[in-house]
Amino acid sequence: MGDESVPYFLGEGTTKTYQIPISHLDYKFIEKCTDVKHLEKILRVLRSGEEGCYPDLTLVCEKRIEHLDPRSRALRKDKPPATASDFTAGEWQAINSELMNWLTEMNEDDRKSQLLRTDTPNERQDNLPPVRCSSSCLPTNQNKKLQNKQRSKKNIPRDYSEWDKFDVEKECSKIDEDCEESNSKARFFSRPSLPIIEKKIDTTGMTNRDKIIIATREKEKGNEAFASGDYVEAVTYYTRSLSVIPTAAVYNNKAQAEIKLQDWDNALEDCEKVLDMEPGNIKALMRRATVHSHLQNYQTAIEDLNKVLSVEPKNTNAKKRLLELEEKLKSLKPVSEPQGKGKKILIQEIEDAESGEGRGENTEECERRGGGSGAAAAVRAGGQRAMGNAHRKSHGKGGKARDRDAHKNQDSAESRPKKGEPEKKSEKHLSDHEGEVNGFLRSDEKSESAEAEISEPHREESQSAGGGSSTALPPTAAKLKSEGNELFKSGQFGEAVLKYSEAIEYVTSLGEQRPDDLSILYSNRAACYLKEGNCSDCIQDCNRALELQPFSLKPLLRRAMANESMERYRQAYIDYKTVLQIDSSIQAANDSANRITKTLIDQDGPSWREKLPPIPVVPVAAQLHRWDGGSLTSENKPSTIDINREEQLQMNCEEAVEKFKRLKNEGNDFVKMGEYEEAANKYSECMKLNTEECTVYTNRALCYLKLYKYEEAKRDCDHVLQIEDSNIKAFYRRALAYKGLQNYQASADDFSKVLLIDPNVLEAQKELEEVTQLLHFDGSAGAGSQQTHGKKITIQEVTEADEQEERQFATSEDAETHCVPAEEAVPKPVPRRASEKRRVSEPPNAYDFGQMINALNANKDKAACADLLTVTDPKTLPVLLSNKLEGETLLIFIQSLEHYIAGKDPGLAYQHLFYLSKAERFKVVLALLSKNEKGEVQQLFDLLSKSWSDQYSLEDLESLKKVYEL
Amino acid sequence: MSAVLAAERPQVVSHVQQALSYTVFDCKWVPRSARLLCLGSAARGTGVLQLYELNGARLQLLREIEKPKPIKCGTFGATSLQQRYLATGDFDGNLNIWNLEAPEIPVYSVKGHKEIINSIDGVGGLGIGEGAPEIVTGSRDGTVKVWDPRQNDIPVANMESVQGESKRDCWTVAFGNAYNLEERVVCAGYDNGDIKLFDLKTMSLRWETNIKNGVCSVEFDRKDINMNKLVATSLEGKFHVFDMRTQHPTKGFAYVSEKAQKSTIWQVRHLPQNRDIFMTSGGSGSLHLWKYEYPAQRSKKDSEGCEMGVAGSLSLLQNVTLSTQPISSLDWSPDKTGLCVCGAYDQTVRVLIVTKLNKI
Repeated sequence: MGDESVPYFLGEGTTKTYQIPISHLDYKFIEKCTDVKHLEKILRVLRSGEEGCYPDLTLVCEKRIEHLDPRSRALRKDKPPATASDFTAGEWQAINSELMNWLTEMNEDDRKSQLLRTDTPNERQDNLPPVRCSSSCLPTNQNKKLQNKQRSKKNIPRDYSEWDKFDVEKECSKIDEDCEESNSKARFFSRPSLPIIEKKIDTTGMTNRDKIIIATREKEKGNEAFASGDYVEAVTYYTRSLSVIPTAAVYNNKAQAEIKLQDWDNALEDCEKVLDMEPGNIKALMRRATVHSHLQNYQTAIEDLNKVLSVEPKNTNAKKRLLELEEKLKSLKPVSEPQGKGKKILIQEIEDAESGEGRGENTEECERRGGGSGAAAAVRAGGQRAMGNAHRKSHGKGGKARDRDAHKNQDSAESRPKKGEPEKKSEKHLSDHEGEVNGFLRSDEKSESAEAEISEPHREESQSAGGGSSTALPPTAAKLKSEGNELFKSGQFGEAVLKYSEAIEYVTSLGEQRPDDLSILYSNRAACYLKEGNCSDCIQDCNRALELQPFSLKPLLRRAMANESMERYRQAYIDYKTVLQIDSSIQAANDSANRITKTLIDQDGPSWREKLPPIPVVPVAAQLHRWDGGSLTSENKPSTIDINREEQLQMNCEEAVEKFKRLKNEGNDFVKMGEYEEAANKYSECMKLNTEECTVYTNRALCYLKLYKYEEAKRDCDHVLQIEDSNIKAFYRRALAYKGLQNYQASADDFSKVLLIDPNVLEAQKELEEVTQLLHFDGSAGAGSQQTHGKKITIQEVTEADEQEERQFATSEDAETHCVPAEEAVPKPVPRRASEKRRVSEPPNAYDFGQMINALNANKDKAACADLLTVTDPKTLPVLLSNKLEGETLLIFIQSLEHYIAGKDPGLAYQHLFYLSKAERFKVVLALLSKNEKGEVQQLFDLLSKSWSDQYSLEDLESLKKVYEL
Repeated sequence: MSAVLAAERPQVVSHVQQALSYTVFDCKWVPRSARLLCLGSAARGTGVLQLYELNGARLQLLREIEKPKPIKCGTFGATSLQQRYLATGDFDGNLNIWNLEAPEIPVYSVKGHKEIINSIDGVGGLGIGEGAPEIVTGSRDGTVKVWDPRQNDIPVANMESVQGESKRDCWTVAFGNAYNLEERVVCAGYDNGDIKLFDLKTMSLRWETNIKNGVCSVEFDRKDINMNKLVATSLEGKFHVFDMRTQHPTKGFAYVSEKAQKSTIWQVRHLPQNRDIFMTSGGSGSLHLWKYEYPAQRSKKDSEGCEMGVAGSLSLLQNVTLSTQPISSLDWSPDKTGLCVCGAYDQTVRVLIVTKLNKI
């Protein structure tokens, strides 16, 4: 109404109160105005009605102000109290019935307490502190001398009437108080010394109801202290509450406060108390998982999270943390993933054996060993490992009193938290050494990529070994080998040699034909010798290894290096050349060959080549994909290699790519026709060309699944997951494979991982339900069969362990040669970001969100933050952030919006910025931003103003800029 | 978004309105019951004390007691949960403690002040506050006195201006910091805007400040913790929230101030179940519900390395207007979160329900 008529009617002029031009009282002006102060004035004029009554315009003005500044005081209107009409019928009902319930409860209590009334007076008087010293007088201004004078005068009764009132007790207390007074002055100035709060509450003479009230109140105090960030005080008040009535909820809160204080030991204790009271308490399990993960007991943490998920399969927070932990574990221990699988089964073994009396002892023993040999414990043979898990389990299942009691009896002197230590230490130990190994590799560059490539045949070998599980190493040897590997990694080469030697002896003593394994062992020992500088032994071992397994890369390379360092250049040259025949892409071999060529030319003149022993011809079967046709040339005209190398390489790559494509397409066609056998063959051929292409593996896994070859399918999936740890297809297919293998637990795990990555996969949901049912069904009956699975997996652990090792180097290789396009029949795999990649799902509440943000802040993981922001509804941002917004958080938001979101979806970025500004504490945080940080915000805005979206106009942006104080 | 927020916000529901035949000065919930007390002054100049019980959607009068002098203020703060004796201050400067079961004669009585007792507070009872039960009274005669119900006739502490200085009218008193047996402070607000903090342990004036306008009401967020926050409301509609954790040697306590409305803020009361939420009652008959938000760091070092506090921020959760007359008294039920009673000068007492307080 009257929008145009307003300025028209009144012509030019200003309002009476604020001298606002009349033309400003206009829809268009108000819509565009971004000056909140001005708008507030306009609103006041409109509300006052001095220029006439325009309800619509007033409303528009209010809305505009609310849009610009929701906290504007001008918006505060006198409101009548809420009535039934402000609520839904249900809410209203709830409010009233809640009050009624309380009233009846109160009345009942009243009646009861009236009956008890008789003896109450004076009862508690005895407990009360004495009366303050009489009549101390205090002037209201600061005049201490006077005050003291007055006090001292009144300290002693001055006449007989006052003597009558003299109270010995009172006087004594006065003396006490005087002492305190002199102390307290010092204390006053040395504030803030921690206040002394009694940790216990005297509850004598209290009724149950009193206790409940007091316990609740202390809990509330604790909660408030927690909310204000004073965790020490919070713990104190929770302790007080617990001293009156111990409840699970308060223990739980206390644990949370202690987690904030990083008092892991107490937090752990409290979580366990909660779990004693309420074995299935989700929060406590989550918190204990947090504690354990901080104590670096990742396994126990994972167990807790699994328990949470078994109760609440949809708990996204738990899922997320579980994945994180698993990744952490993976990155800490190269052998962890298979261990995770084997472990679950082993637990069952223990549960079967639980009746065994001597378990406490076993766990103890194992603990000590676990401390000694670190992560190797994971790969240890059967019985010992079982004990290792028994030990871990005793951490995990706090609810199992029996278990713990056994433990406690064994080492009552050792406190619980200590038990976590051996594990913790060993893990740290391990990660340190990993660093060392890497550093070592980097320091002698020429061997780096060689080492990287060494992994190739090794994997092949180990895979072939793992394929038929019967050909794997016997457990003792496997254990020795993995121990050797660990020692090697930690740089203790001499001891590693001993381990390998033992393993070799053991294997040979078995008398069986195990050329693969022996070859690997020799090769490994050769590596040790090489590192030690013992070149002759190294060469010997390499020779043995090559006798057993001709044309395997690692021993060849090692022998080449050993020869080179012994200045036997010709032999070294030959070996390098052989290596290059097998895999032309090994940069180190290339470099070394070139170097040696020069040396040899210097040494022998132009005819150096004639003095060379013949270079062995590598059979095509032993050559690796990349070389395909190229080996012939290299053999016939070795001299041209150096010149034409690059061109050829490229050419061969292209050829290979084409062939690869062709084979793959053929495979896909076979799949479509339902001829899975053929398809699998085609895919296998593809793999010969390129082992890194995941889609081929997932496709072949599909074929195997169709052919009911679950073991093979699983292996393919495993392989893919090694390369790409979030390949959803691989998870899904592996889950199916597990299902086929009747390993329902592993299957369920994989399905839940699928759902974690993409919750919308309906098939996976269905399958998960089915598998979970089967799992329950199977229950005890399946225990026996699962045990056998356990053993199988144990064996695979060994082989996969090798693969894991290799993965550390795999990246460098990737960087060198990759020309295979990711054109595929399967949806694009998630980009490889290996272990640090976090999976993000929408946070359900402020707590989870806070936890996520903390994690993101810790890693400065902007990409993950962007993911988080993408899945988060901007509108919920203020709620999710609650009052936890901090500069750091704001900054990472801004950065991830700028780098990841603004480009793709400026509208979303704007929405986030807008709602971010609505978060509590936003103003405060903004005020604390540094200049550089402001610059980042400015950049983001610039970016947004350049891009376009229907979600915002430039004015919106401008006004938001104001909010951001730019 | 506003719609979403509105649904999340607490709402103030006027549950019961009860018209009275006298001017009500103070109203209080009887601890651990659904009963409430109204104290005031009858037209003929006598004191009235009414006990109501909340009975569904109405207030049922249980008892009415008439006393010779108008009663200004009352507290249960220094009594045990079993006894629930009411301490009152009247227009004549008398401090009386009543057994509501037998209200004919007071169980304790003292002529504490020469003039009207404006304000009263108690601590050490009801399980709130460690240490002895004590009552503090503030009077127009300018003195603030602390009483122990076990000691007759004389106060255990007396805070008055030095002779020769003009006496200020003390409008409000409050206990705080009673987190152990020794510590205890009294905060008093005066008509000239002075706020004084007396440390009862050291018997010293710990801190004073002036907020320029008469201090109508002061309250600590909790009495029985290491003093955390203090809210002081003033005559011209502003209130200050002091962070009492960190005292700077010269600057004192950090504070944030907010203007609620143009009229006097008569009362401030913290929610007993959550110290960071409080309600102010205004001269224009309105109630404002606030939440205090802590800053990321509650203290920082100044240039000389002294710790100084950092004030947080305030957000208005809800405001309602109940009356055209000032709301002079306000009390949250200690037992039922969100239940609240307020008395206004329109001679009405209202029982309010504030919803969704536990969701904030």
